[in-house]
Amino acid sequence: MLGVCFFILISVSVAAAIPTGNFGALSNAIVDGAAQAVTLTLSLAGMMALWCGVMRVLQEAGVIRLLARVLSPVLRLVFPDAWRSGRACEEITASVSANILGIGNAATPLALSAMAKLQEENPTPDTATDDMITLSVLATAPPALLPTTLIALRRAAGAARPYEIVLPVWITSAACALFGIVLCRLFARAGRGRRRD
Amino acid sequence: MIEILSGAIMPCVLLLAAIPMLSKRRDFFARFTEGAREGLTSAVRLLPTMIALCVALAMFRASGAVDLLTGALGGAAARLGIPAEILPLLVTRPVSGSASTAAYADLLASVGADSFAALCASVLMGSSDTLVYVITVYFSGTAIGGKPPVRRTRHAFFTAACVMIFCVFLACAVSRLFFSEAGA
Repeated sequence: MLGVCFFILISVSVAAAIPTGNFGALSNAIVDGAAQAVTLTLSLAGMMALWCGVMRVLQEAGVIRLLARVLSPVLRLVFPDAWRSGRACEEITASVSANILGIGNAATPLALSAMAKLQEENPTPDTATDDMITLSVLATAPPALLPTTLIALRRAAGAARPYEIVLPVWITSAACALFGIVLCRLFARAGRGRRRD
Repeated sequence: MIEILSGAIMPCVLLLAAIPMLSKRRDFFARFTEGAREGLTSAVRLLPTMIALCVALAMFRASGAVDLLTGALGGAAARLGIPAEILPLLVTRPVSGSASTAAYADLLASVGADSFAALCASVLMGSSDTLVYVITVYFSGTAIGGKPPVRRTRHAFFTAACVMIFCVFLACAVSRLFFSEAGA
């Protein structure tokens, strides 16, 4: 699937470069892109190391277990398989909480360790489980409390009321997250029905 | 006030993690370094995926595909109640965080931060994320435990795309509700 995604991006780019004649820019982009990947990963590496370390401390101290217990009435409905088996619950709780608190930098490394944990429990390791899909889809529509970058950009652009977007953003992102969860549950059920046939 | 609170979240979480380190019975600092070492290994394991992804996304940005798609979709978008000005943002949002932030800043500068298109774009930016990047990185995360990664992602991309489309229409509808005075 990732290969298909790669193919689509590359073929669309090459096709778009034919009428525009942008092939020189395309070659430069390949060189820059590869270099960017390293810079990006290195800057991600610092955050990943920090948050994985913090996560380990909070886990050992029992903070995450407490948080998982508080949030479990909601998360149990969203990630039924993880909560049934009792594995990866803490990792999922940590990454979802980081997303809601708006510390996206921390959410990615936490989510990655949740994905790795889910993969350990995966009975069919080449195929994504329902919980993996829900976790990744939720991250594409993160229900953030405060869109700080947006507010900063709006203030810089001279908006009269930089904060007026906050309430509409909450409504929209909450609805999108809910829509994503419902779709995931529906598709998961449909997939399970097909497998049983 | 809100800015102070949001700025305080990360330091407070760190403080919360620093408190157990006072414990004399258990060595929590050693737990921290263990976790951090694992995090570093994960990051290195991610690099091959990141290279493929970043190259493909950089090509997509440089190819001029954004302009072509924007031109092709302009009429249809206006008919669906989406301001044509936000199309560059719509096209870049699923594939690139930096490109969509640039498209957003560009939009604010060109039509004004208080125009309806800019408000629509703000709501959209606040409630969506870079779909391709997130899904790809998350699924390559399945490999960092040392197991082979998931190859079949089933309905992950399709569902995320549905959510993104839903989000675009909802963002415009909610903005129309809230900002009718901005000339919707």
